Amino acid sequence: MELYTPVLALLALAAGFAIFSVAVSTLTGPKRYNRARLDSYECGIEPTPQPFGGGRIPVKYYTVAMTFIIFDVEIMFLVPWAVYFDQLSWFGLIAVVLFLFNITLAYAYEWRRGGLDWD
Amino acid sequence: MNAVSLPLVTGPSLDSFGLDTVWVVLLKAVLIFAVLVVLTLFNIWFERRVVARMQHRIGPNVNGPFGLLQSLADGVKLALKEDIIPTRADKVVFILAPIICVVPAFVTFAVIPFGPEVTIPFTDTVTPLQLTDMPVAVLFVMAIASIGIYGIVLGGWASGSTYSLLGGLRSSAQMISYEVAMGLALISVFLFAGSVSTSEIVAAQGDLWFGLILAPAFIIYVIAMVGETNRAPFDLPEAEGELVGGFHTEYSSLKFALFFLAEYINMVTVSALATTLFLGGWHAPFGIGAIWEGANEGYWPLLWFFGKVFFFMFIFVWLRGTLPRMRYDQFMDFGWKRLIPVALGWTVLVAVMRLITIEETFDRQSLLITLGVITGLLVVAMFVPSFGAARDEAETEEPDAPAKPAGAFPVPPMPATGAVRGAAPPLTFADSGPRPGPAQAEES
Amino acid sequence: MNDEFTGPAIEWARLWPLFAVFGTALVGVAVEAFAPRSARCLIQSSVAGVGLAVALVGTVLVALELPERAGGAARGDVTAGGAVVVDGPTVFLWGLLVVVTVGGLLLFAERRVDAGLPVFAGQASLPPGSTAGPGGPGEPSYEDWEHTEVYPLLVFALGGMMLFCASGDLLTMFVALEILSLPLYLLCGLARRRRLLSQEAAMKYFLLGAFSSGFFVYGMALVYGYAGTLNLAGVAVAVRAGGGQEVLLLVGAAMVMVALLFKVGAVPFHSWTPDVYQGAPTAVTAYMAAATKIAAFGAILRFLYVGLGDARWDWAPLLWVVAILTMLGGVVLAVGQTEIKRLLAYSSIAHTGFLLTGVLGLQASGDLAEGQISSLQAVLFYLATYGVATVGIFAVTTLVRDPGGEAGSVARWTGLGRTSPLVAGAFAVFLLSLAGIPLTAGFVGKWSVFASAAGAGAWPVVAVAITSSIIAVYFYVRHIVTMFFADPPEDAPVVVVPSPLTSVTIAVALIVTVALGVVPGPLLDLAGHAGQFVR
Repeated sequence: MELYTPVLALLALAAGFAIFSVAVSTLTGPKRYNRARLDSYECGIEPTPQPFGGGRIPVKYYTVAMTFIIFDVEIMFLVPWAVYFDQLSWFGLIAVVLFLFNITLAYAYEWRRGGLDWD
Repeated sequence: MNAVSLPLVTGPSLDSFGLDTVWVVLLKAVLIFAVLVVLTLFNIWFERRVVARMQHRIGPNVNGPFGLLQSLADGVKLALKEDIIPTRADKVVFILAPIICVVPAFVTFAVIPFGPEVTIPFTDTVTPLQLTDMPVAVLFVMAIASIGIYGIVLGGWASGSTYSLLGGLRSSAQMISYEVAMGLALISVFLFAGSVSTSEIVAAQGDLWFGLILAPAFIIYVIAMVGETNRAPFDLPEAEGELVGGFHTEYSSLKFALFFLAEYINMVTVSALATTLFLGGWHAPFGIGAIWEGANEGYWPLLWFFGKVFFFMFIFVWLRGTLPRMRYDQFMDFGWKRLIPVALGWTVLVAVMRLITIEETFDRQSLLITLGVITGLLVVAMFVPSFGAARDEAETEEPDAPAKPAGAFPVPPMPATGAVRGAAPPLTFADSGPRPGPAQAEES
Repeated sequence: MNDEFTGPAIEWARLWPLFAVFGTALVGVAVEAFAPRSARCLIQSSVAGVGLAVALVGTVLVALELPERAGGAARGDVTAGGAVVVDGPTVFLWGLLVVVTVGGLLLFAERRVDAGLPVFAGQASLPPGSTAGPGGPGEPSYEDWEHTEVYPLLVFALGGMMLFCASGDLLTMFVALEILSLPLYLLCGLARRRRLLSQEAAMKYFLLGAFSSGFFVYGMALVYGYAGTLNLAGVAVAVRAGGGQEVLLLVGAAMVMVALLFKVGAVPFHSWTPDVYQGAPTAVTAYMAAATKIAAFGAILRFLYVGLGDARWDWAPLLWVVAILTMLGGVVLAVGQTEIKRLLAYSSIAHTGFLLTGVLGLQASGDLAEGQISSLQAVLFYLATYGVATVGIFAVTTLVRDPGGEAGSVARWTGLGRTSPLVAGAFAVFLLSLAGIPLTAGFVGKWSVFASAAGAGAWPVVAVAITSSIIAVYFYVRHIVTMFFADPPEDAPVVVVPSPLTSVTIAVALIVTVALGVVPGPLLDLAGHAGQFVR
């Protein structure tokens, strides 16, 4: 068999279990209608109409997401370099150090500009 | 190629995989699945017992021997609870989220090596104790684990509740923040193993564990793995003091149980990955292998493997019993401003070191001198005010980001002196009652 | 896994101007991170200035050292493992780009036209109309802030452009396309005045640009499917060999061309041009209008001539149609414009059409008559005249101001020739050059591209080009007439006296425009000396 197909067996097993659990809980659990219970939980006070329709999310999360993508792509570039490090030798090292230097410069810029600060 | 780059290969390599028949694959898949479910039940009990000991309590001890069946009883109880879907929830996504969360948790275990090649009892089939392996196995784990984050953020979003949304956002921001440090820590392992396949990484640790020669990467990984799994002291998404239950506030019954299951499986996964990458996987600890030749053969390696995994599980529990929860900004600062620079620096350092060793460009003396200079520079750097401090000063003389223009999202005003750092000043009261107190003493 | 690895050879001697430019941009980022705010503006502009000077000197030095190829018909080298080609046209375009960028830099640094304020917004995120301080009275107002990132962004854009017109394979071309585009998207949204227009421009440019980049990547993949390589020379070999899935090549090449034509603003991919030219800060418009066109035409020429030179009977008819549409669309829509910058935007679309006419003049070198101008030479020369005149004319538009910013409306310029003959005169000269009136650079440029296209048999296109030139003359001259032969309105806009930065830019552009019109020979020879593309 292929190297990747066994994953499907585990995937099917896990998915089957998860779907079964979600489905069975509607059968095993009691059903007693109660309007208050179906409301959003907010410590007993009237729920704030925030998340849907006009709710806004702090822009910080977007900057974190973008920075993450940059770094994650960077890591993806580093992985093949690391695996073939011995063959690439000095050429690989210098190339990667230059690459990391560029990333670090942008990182320092973001740091200094408060892009990494949470307040 | 010389001895350094060609480690002693002991155990299965990539060529040993892809040969299993269908029923062997199915058997292994079912076994992994069962082990994970049972491990989860056991871990919950384990955590409760150990934390209880740390807090001078006894913990669950009623159901079954030593209370071992407590988690099972809890699971059954959850199944018998009402399955609530809030009216404001996005129904489809709300139901899908726990599934999205739990399935990847199981799937990541497909590439974790439990042991060497063994003979299945009562047959003469030889197979590695690992479902499968691939040339990019560790990346596969990282990729699949990232899908689990979708479950959390979608669950938080679909609940239609403020607490859930904030919890989901927080946890996704947290997980991706620490994933960067984690990925960077793994680079040095790939560099030394010359492979991303889990079985080959284990094989490369036949004589020396990477956790010892790459100790900084190991430490970074351990910190990041706690952050990845949203565990104390990084359990901000579920900060019950501020967010009730975080992303799963609105979940009940077995859907809640699935999130719980996913969290505990993820703990096992990162522990197993740490074992595989840094603690020699299923290899017997030092000394044992030398004394007892059969330690690394047959089914014995399972013992070492799970022993190491439980070592990490104990650390998880220990952290939870010991450390208070961090504040969110401290937590993000730690991830972005400490772990990532250290991990980047370490990656470069380890690459340079390895290249010097391979190429033998420098003799030992100049190597030592270089190291001395680097250490000296680091010591000097400790006295230079850090980035953060410099920025704080800059902030006071020139406000960098404009606070809030008109029409911006309303937030409560900051204290006049800026964000409170360190201990808050003692409260002072304007009215001077008959009661003498420190506040009055200060005023007078 | 035990294969011996050999690193690609990087010919530093040919490539160092490119590295100097990128290095300058990185230094700019470092300055932005570590220099104190008060000193940043000065440091940034000096760093950028020094970097550009080095790049210019480097380009000249590299140009002098290029080895001859093919018996003198071409000169240059394929470097960096085929990724970057440094040949005659490349260094010609490099020089042109750096010169135009120097002009852009001078306009970026200008502060006197807006009462001591920089031309860029203090904060990119500022909502329109907010000039008060962030926290109310007592706080420093937005007026005092400045985005000094514009200088590194400018240099990054230049680096991308230099790489764009030098790229030897489609992947490098794509990377360069992104490097040049992203800074421009950002710069477009930074106008200090008319924030809403500016932000809208940036958004439109970004969305459409991202879409066109998608076309590029997809087209690239299809071309790869045909040729099995992304290298332009390799594609040429595959095309010459023939066979294979022709349709992959044609669809792929068409999609790549969509992205490239988008960048130069050819009809039907032109719709962003007027909005972006109008909304962007005028300094950015001046730079972008000139430099993007130079770089993108460099890439178009290289893609079509090097990669698809042997398939020219496949792409030429389509390009005929695009060229005709672009010229007609540009001039016809320009007639009705009442905004100066929109008018110039449509005029730039028309010029794209003229340039495409030049591109159509491709002939095999054997078919070229003795002394005939090759199409490459014609287009390079045209780009020089167009680039210089464009920087000049947009620089002039920054000077005529109303209280709320630049006097954008054509009507506001009425009678300017009587109140400030110098400014109006300079503007008129640039307009005449864009119109292609004899004794200006534009005439020689147009004549050369038309001659080259006609030589290759693209008569219908040339006929349309001449027709649209005549229409264009109408609206250019109409503007000159309103400036000089009408009375100024009561509340005439103020003509500010700029600092030497803008004055020098305008003066140099003016001198070059006239000089190239009178004695075009040296530059034409230089463009001819650049020779053919090296593959």
